[in-house]
Amino acid sequence: MTSPLELDGDDESSAILNGAARLSRGELRRQADELLEQLARRGASRVLVQSDDPTHVLRAVDASTRAGADLFIAHTNLPAEFVREIVDRFAIQAILGEHDEYRSADGEPAGARVHMMTSGTTGRPKIAVHTLEKLLTRVRAAARVPANREGKWLLTYQTTGFAGLQVMLMAALSRGVIVVPEQRTPAGFYEAAKRAEVTQISGTPTFWRSFLMVAPRGELALRQITLGGEAIDQPTLDRVRAAFPEARVTHIYASTEAGVGFSVHDGKEGFPKSWLEEPTQGVELRIRDGLLELKTPTSMQHYLSGGEQPLLDDGWIKTADRCEVVSDRVRILGRQDSTINVGGSKVYPLAVETFLLAQSGVHEARVFGVPNPISGYLVAAEVTLAPGVDPEEARARILAACREGLAGYQVPRVFKIVDSIKVAVSGKKASQ
Amino acid sequence: MTEEEVLTHIDRLVTNTLKGKGLPAAKIDQQSELLGGAVGIDSLDLALLVRELEEVVGHDPFADGFIEFRTAGELAKLYAR
Repeated sequence: MTSPLELDGDDESSAILNGAARLSRGELRRQADELLEQLARRGASRVLVQSDDPTHVLRAVDASTRAGADLFIAHTNLPAEFVREIVDRFAIQAILGEHDEYRSADGEPAGARVHMMTSGTTGRPKIAVHTLEKLLTRVRAAARVPANREGKWLLTYQTTGFAGLQVMLMAALSRGVIVVPEQRTPAGFYEAAKRAEVTQISGTPTFWRSFLMVAPRGELALRQITLGGEAIDQPTLDRVRAAFPEARVTHIYASTEAGVGFSVHDGKEGFPKSWLEEPTQGVELRIRDGLLELKTPTSMQHYLSGGEQPLLDDGWIKTADRCEVVSDRVRILGRQDSTINVGGSKVYPLAVETFLLAQSGVHEARVFGVPNPISGYLVAAEVTLAPGVDPEEARARILAACREGLAGYQVPRVFKIVDSIKVAVSGKKASQ
Repeated sequence: MTEEEVLTHIDRLVTNTLKGKGLPAAKIDQQSELLGGAVGIDSLDLALLVRELEEVVGHDPFADGFIEFRTAGELAKLYAR
């Protein structure tokens, strides 16, 4: 049977470089074959994989697609009781990871679905249901683009998240190599990228801002740079382009719910307004009540766990991203649920973060609300500075720029210069 | 902290705020109307001032809801214990 990841048993070229360890495409295929055999022998059709090692996730994807099994991909940082609950509720028969574990359980017939979990930054993670074939179809098309062939991909995302899975599938289907850093720190990412001579890096804007602080100019020959997972701001796009002038810079709009959304290659934040009128890349876009809605062929089927469904009756997905149209461009202002209410005025943290990032000497910025008896909330900001910037001078200069360039209610009233800003395991800025 | 002491802190915090905004200093006394226009701070400056006072004094008189005040003296009274 052919492998959905197009792996060949006697292909000795590299599939994964994990620190000093190397795994060939043939070995990955053999591991997937073994798993397929185990699943068949035990009649297991509902499978859960929980691991930060791409090998485990990819062999699970390859084998369960061939077996027509349902696959659940669980983050390693999920609470153990939540994972147990999933295992019981969905009658999981194989739990894969460093050690595979099989159990007998009766449940619904499987349908080659893949269940991805949201990062769950707010409360319990939600489980989005996709079909493996739909996910693979889209990646196969992108994998045929010559610029994507046989690249070396630095894995900056969590292995078990939607973005991480996309990168791994892309690398596998384009006959590329997945490069896994030993340390998930900016220096660790750079070290791995340099050693393996990576050519493609996909990461969040937060990842890129920290990566630029450690990557010396001219040391990496990148062909493709991708930003995604968070709203993209112009200052970060500009910095990335200046640091890697030879690379193509793309930002993507995708989510666990929508599957792959769309890509933008022109180096400008947001996307062309014309895309609201005509579908782009197979995706239809519209703005309703100020929020972005999309209709994609790769969208999930539904959320498993009841609650509020983002999927509308007409097949569109409602996002929480608030948009504004400025001349011929649609800008994403930030997530609806992240707004700070300052004395009745709404502040989008992203807008203020973007403003702060545009100030010289500012490397990273985080904006959030602090409760206040007078105004409900006040805008608070934390920034990190480039090495050698005088904090006293920077504070006065940045605050003066804020008062000059922002509305009064947007100006951070609590302003701290800090050594570092916490990054969540998803690669996104931690929300609090 | 006595009302007098709290008032001294209010004066200091208002002075800092005005300095940060590049505005001339204003002398704060019991009768100063904080948002009256003569002082030069806005309601969001006042919101921050209240937060800073809480840190200095160590308790939050608004913990159970907002209490109205107009002058620096009235605000000092809320924080004094």
